[in-house]
Amino acid sequence: MTDPPLFPAQEIGSLMKPRWQLLGQRGQPLDDAARAEFSAWNDRLHFVPPDDPMVRKFLGERSREVNAETVRDWAALCLIRYLESAGLARVYDGEARRVEMYEYPIRQMRGFQFLGHVRSFDNKYYLKASITGEIRLDRPYHTEEFEFVRDHARATVKLPITGPYTLADWSYNEYYLRRQTGWKGPGTRRRAQRDFVVELARRAIRPTLAALIERGCRVIQVDEPAAGTHPQEAELVAEGFNAATEGLDAEFSMHICFSDYRSLFPALLEAKRCTQWAWEFANRDSEGHDGYEVLKLFREYGDHRQVGLGVVDVHRDEVESPERVKERLLRATRILGDPRRIWVNPDCGLRTRSLDVAYQKLTNMVRGAALARAELDGRAAA
Amino acid sequence: MQAITSLTGPFPRSEALVAATRDLDRGRTTPEAVEEAYATTEAEVTRVEERLGLDPRTGGYLRWQDLFRPFAETWEGFTVGPLTRWFETNQFFRQPILHAPPERVAGAILPWLPEARSACAGRRGKAILPGPYTFAGLVDNRSGETAEALTHRLGRLLAEELRELRSHGFTTFQFQEPLLVVRPPERSRAESVVAAYKSIAAAAEGATVAVWTFFADAQPAWPTLWRLPVGIVGVDLAETDLLALPPSTERRGLGLGVIDPRTSLVEDPAEVVQLTRAIAERHRPTTVWVGAGAPLDLLPWEPATRKLHVLPAVREGLRAEAARR
Repeated sequence: MTDPPLFPAQEIGSLMKPRWQLLGQRGQPLDDAARAEFSAWNDRLHFVPPDDPMVRKFLGERSREVNAETVRDWAALCLIRYLESAGLARVYDGEARRVEMYEYPIRQMRGFQFLGHVRSFDNKYYLKASITGEIRLDRPYHTEEFEFVRDHARATVKLPITGPYTLADWSYNEYYLRRQTGWKGPGTRRRAQRDFVVELARRAIRPTLAALIERGCRVIQVDEPAAGTHPQEAELVAEGFNAATEGLDAEFSMHICFSDYRSLFPALLEAKRCTQWAWEFANRDSEGHDGYEVLKLFREYGDHRQVGLGVVDVHRDEVESPERVKERLLRATRILGDPRRIWVNPDCGLRTRSLDVAYQKLTNMVRGAALARAELDGRAAA
Repeated sequence: MQAITSLTGPFPRSEALVAATRDLDRGRTTPEAVEEAYATTEAEVTRVEERLGLDPRTGGYLRWQDLFRPFAETWEGFTVGPLTRWFETNQFFRQPILHAPPERVAGAILPWLPEARSACAGRRGKAILPGPYTFAGLVDNRSGETAEALTHRLGRLLAEELRELRSHGFTTFQFQEPLLVVRPPERSRAESVVAAYKSIAAAAEGATVAVWTFFADAQPAWPTLWRLPVGIVGVDLAETDLLALPPSTERRGLGLGVIDPRTSLVEDPAEVVQLTRAIAERHRPTTVWVGAGAPLDLLPWEPATRKLHVLPAVREGLRAEAARR
């Protein structure tokens, strides 16, 4: 049996929702830009038959007669084909059905109360909730969207789900903090947070993962972008991950971004069921600063798991050239030693880039991986 | 005991401003409409400050994308770099990259200060600026200057800035120095911090200068903090147990960060009064400034506004208690 090709590509998070999806789901008439966007991507990806009467209605004067569910399904199909067409080995639907990675899962649970928007950076915000009561899962989530992707994707499906540590860290913790007595100093806050993370993992995330696996989900990315927020809590990230995945059989990866990875070692390595670390690196890689040097930590701590290597910056429109991607992959290979451990991906979800820019970034990423592969194959042949 | 209450950092953007700035990014609104949303929200923050008796006023610093951006975008020597986590929060700043020793550009920062634009300009406005140690410590320094030299230089440049802002009516200057407690300076770094603040103090004669620390326990940095020639040293009480620190030997103004923006739980004014009183008895500060321990923009608008109401309650509680004694 031959080895799979080196540097397989994967998506890592959400994509920008097409304008036609947003208008269509809101029941607003499509404008010319939305129609043109739909047609341009459909010409390229063939995600729905253009002569389908519903499609004609949607692109004509009767777009409001197409219901929101149909529009959402088309968007999911569009983004599945989009990722497949870019050449990715593992795909999802660009999270077309989700509001975003925090609000959506929280809305599937009881015990939370949304308080308003908090700025993450620049003009980017998220709606933040507080845990005010006991956590109860209404029902496992992401299952219907998984089934849809499973039934329509040609490439392997990888489902992203927000991890317990991040959900807890991005919420205010009233319920568990109230249960602590005395000065609400750092030690007290940490104890309250541990209760919150572990309860979230056990009561909400694990039942959801179990339901997904039961439906055939084999590759799951647990998103923990908050993992590096509190260095002294790296152990809790691993504990939450272990509690969420306990006794479950699937291929689990952990996505982390925009963090000081040094602070996570070695505590994070206790996340035993994690088989791949899918992290952001390109954002920190610039002239005079090697963003991939931090990979040495895996060598230092003897961790030989796969690495999902972020080679594309998701916050800038400038499209990385294939040569740049190749160079980053070869640099990472030199550090990690074994190229078979490396998957290639963007730093994070490309949702802040237009679909055009994101597509160019993804296709260049795949081309860059091919260049790196050819170079290594050439070296091996020589 | 009289307490001065004031905002100690950027205020959250209102939901209307969130929607407007988001829409601008998505091409759904015009810069003019966003400008109007900024102006409306700034006026609203000022009204909140007035209503709650918060003085000096700030206007909320709603336009600042992060603590360094106005400097990184206008002063010479900088470019705006990658997204970087803002301490232990889910906020990010674009790390300034310093390619050469920085140079101040006259008049560049003033337009960024909300109080300079407000109708009450010239009254007791507070300028909130990056502290030289935090600034020097968080930039990607490719200038060739040592960290010490850069800290000192930034102190001199910020002193020039302070002089200019004074001429526009600002009377209080608060320097944000989370790094002083998160990564306390030692030896030559500590000396460079003291030197930087000496430059600032020289420019500030007659004005009030505060150093506000947050995000970590101030105890390890306490000796350095007390060497700084400033009127007020602010600490984050969610991180620092001031009652566990030895009584201060020198009398100084103390800033008490009593509101914790990391939780939406509203502080109990009676508990805060009791704590403030106990701290004052132990450290005998010349004045007490009471505010948020860390920037309130870690909260959404509504809970932040709700939590702010603890400040006048504490002010009144302290006044009533003093009257009883």
